[in-house]
Amino acid sequence: MTRLSLAASLLALAAASPALAQDKTLTISVYGIAQDAYDVALYKPFEAKCGCKLVIETGNSSERLAKLEANAAAPVVDVIAFSDANALDAAKKGLLAPLDPAAIPSLGQIYDFAKDPVGDNMAVGYTFYGTSIVYRSDVVKIESWLDLFKPELAGQVALPNITTTQGPITLFMLEKALGKDDPDFADAIDLVAEHKGDIVTFYERGSQIPQLLQQEEIMAAVVGRFGWANIAKLGLPVEWAKPKEGQTGGMNVLAMVKGAKDPALAQEFIDYWLSAEVQQKLAEGLVDSPVNTSVKVDDVIAEGLTYGADTAAAIHFLPAEQQLTNREAWLAGWNAKVAQ
Amino acid sequence: MFQNRRLGLLLLAPATIFVALGFIVPVLILLSGAFRAEGGWTLGHYLEFFAQPLNREVFLRTFRLGLIVTAVSAVVGYGVAMAVVEAGPKSKGRLVALLVLPLMISPVARTYAWLVILGRTGFVNVFLTDIGLIDSPLRLLFTETAVFIGLIQLFFPLMVLPLISSLENLPRDVIPAARVLGASWPAVFFKVVLPLTKEGLVVGGTLVFVGSLTAYVTPAILGGSKVLMLETLLYQRVSVANDFASAAVIAVILIVMSVATNVLLKRLASVRRSKAEAK
Repeated sequence: MTRLSLAASLLALAAASPALAQDKTLTISVYGIAQDAYDVALYKPFEAKCGCKLVIETGNSSERLAKLEANAAAPVVDVIAFSDANALDAAKKGLLAPLDPAAIPSLGQIYDFAKDPVGDNMAVGYTFYGTSIVYRSDVVKIESWLDLFKPELAGQVALPNITTTQGPITLFMLEKALGKDDPDFADAIDLVAEHKGDIVTFYERGSQIPQLLQQEEIMAAVVGRFGWANIAKLGLPVEWAKPKEGQTGGMNVLAMVKGAKDPALAQEFIDYWLSAEVQQKLAEGLVDSPVNTSVKVDDVIAEGLTYGADTAAAIHFLPAEQQLTNREAWLAGWNAKVAQ
Repeated sequence: MFQNRRLGLLLLAPATIFVALGFIVPVLILLSGAFRAEGGWTLGHYLEFFAQPLNREVFLRTFRLGLIVTAVSAVVGYGVAMAVVEAGPKSKGRLVALLVLPLMISPVARTYAWLVILGRTGFVNVFLTDIGLIDSPLRLLFTETAVFIGLIQLFFPLMVLPLISSLENLPRDVIPAARVLGASWPAVFFKVVLPLTKEGLVVGGTLVFVGSLTAYVTPAILGGSKVLMLETLLYQRVSVANDFASAAVIAVILIVMSVATNVLLKRLASVRRSKAEAK
């Protein structure tokens, strides 16, 4: 009640004083992390630049996707940030509007793989990350994804659960390492199932990993680079593996919602987010690894990010299309063989 | 108190509306979601849910752990409650305070403490290695044992406190009377103490069993995805798989199990009591 009446009086106030009224608003839906940093690097400067007001909704990707679907007839959100697979899912459900490359000049400065990751200009990548194995270099040496199942690591490895973003891409690399090419990852799932007693836990939150390493609960784990800074500062002999099969990774994208009130403003915002200026600030704050190729950071900052053209080129991304098509099969295979 | 019935109803209205809108309506929507399919009513979601071996296993595990936690709490709880009741007034206060203290600490903090205690380099493993009982650390975390320990610690006070209040109401002379009449100690407990304190056991049993069924934080942190319980499975279905239908099914199963436990235990207690009164 209080909130409602507060909102009502604020509305009345806004209506009564034209000086305060900002006729343009843009509603964005983003992940809930690092909002203070985004506020300084992105939101405030954009509001100043466009003379408009940003309304920010946060939440995890599945709940925001569900909301987008529920409000399809009368969209609330104009611009949404989520994973490439989520974006493709939303695009297939007819929830997104294509972007106009001409309206987003920053596109010229970003990596090719981020320019149109889900096809039909439905989304553009704003950050990406590598995923590999972190391991205790005093205990073991990791040179291949299959080294996770070495006898000396038995009972000391954490893998991401299939339900997390990191889960399927881990299977993707294991399948590759086995020299197989099954889109259902049947061989990789069999491999994990065979060793499931040796896996300490199939984690659901990456934030668990530093603690498990610190307690010597685990000696190796598959993690996204965004978790590396917290692991590196534990002061343990931990290294980021460079397996011979390469690293995998993921990408987060921005998309414009179908029925967005002001497409020009929405695309202006997307363009600003991709600009060197904003990407530089977000990189320096270790918030997001930049897709803009003109961002330059020193070695210390780069260590905390997935940075540089060479690194980017070496990442095997699991195509969004494949994630969407095979997800049910992975879950079913995993539940039948690993989860029980 | 209120002669005016209308005034009474009027005074009840705000709370009723609040509960109806804030609780009953959402629960009904949830319940109906679990029975709806395109265009009609169905039990299909349930059949589908139980057709999957993983779901059956999770259901049975949740039920089994709930029963074990309740049974162990009851057995140990009677001992502790009797000791508290028999203690002098000063130490009784202290003992009750000790029992209540953990309830004032957030379950998240308590569960995190177990993460440290049960770890490979934690207290339990270091102690067992030091006294030479084991050679290499035991794997305790992310096992059913860890979830069991966490749940027992979480809910044990909820069993003991009702038992204490029941035992306090037990007439002081019934035990000596039974002994004088030749009853053995086990007979005294099962024929005299247990029937007369059954209400405490029912209240405690309901709280512990329902609590164990529905606890989320403890199985999530100490069990993880290797020891899925219904509530961790529910979270997974909603937040990861975006599968609200089976999440609703799990929610309904949990609600039904909780309500059924309460009704069943209450009936059990009242039947015994009316039989005892009839005699």
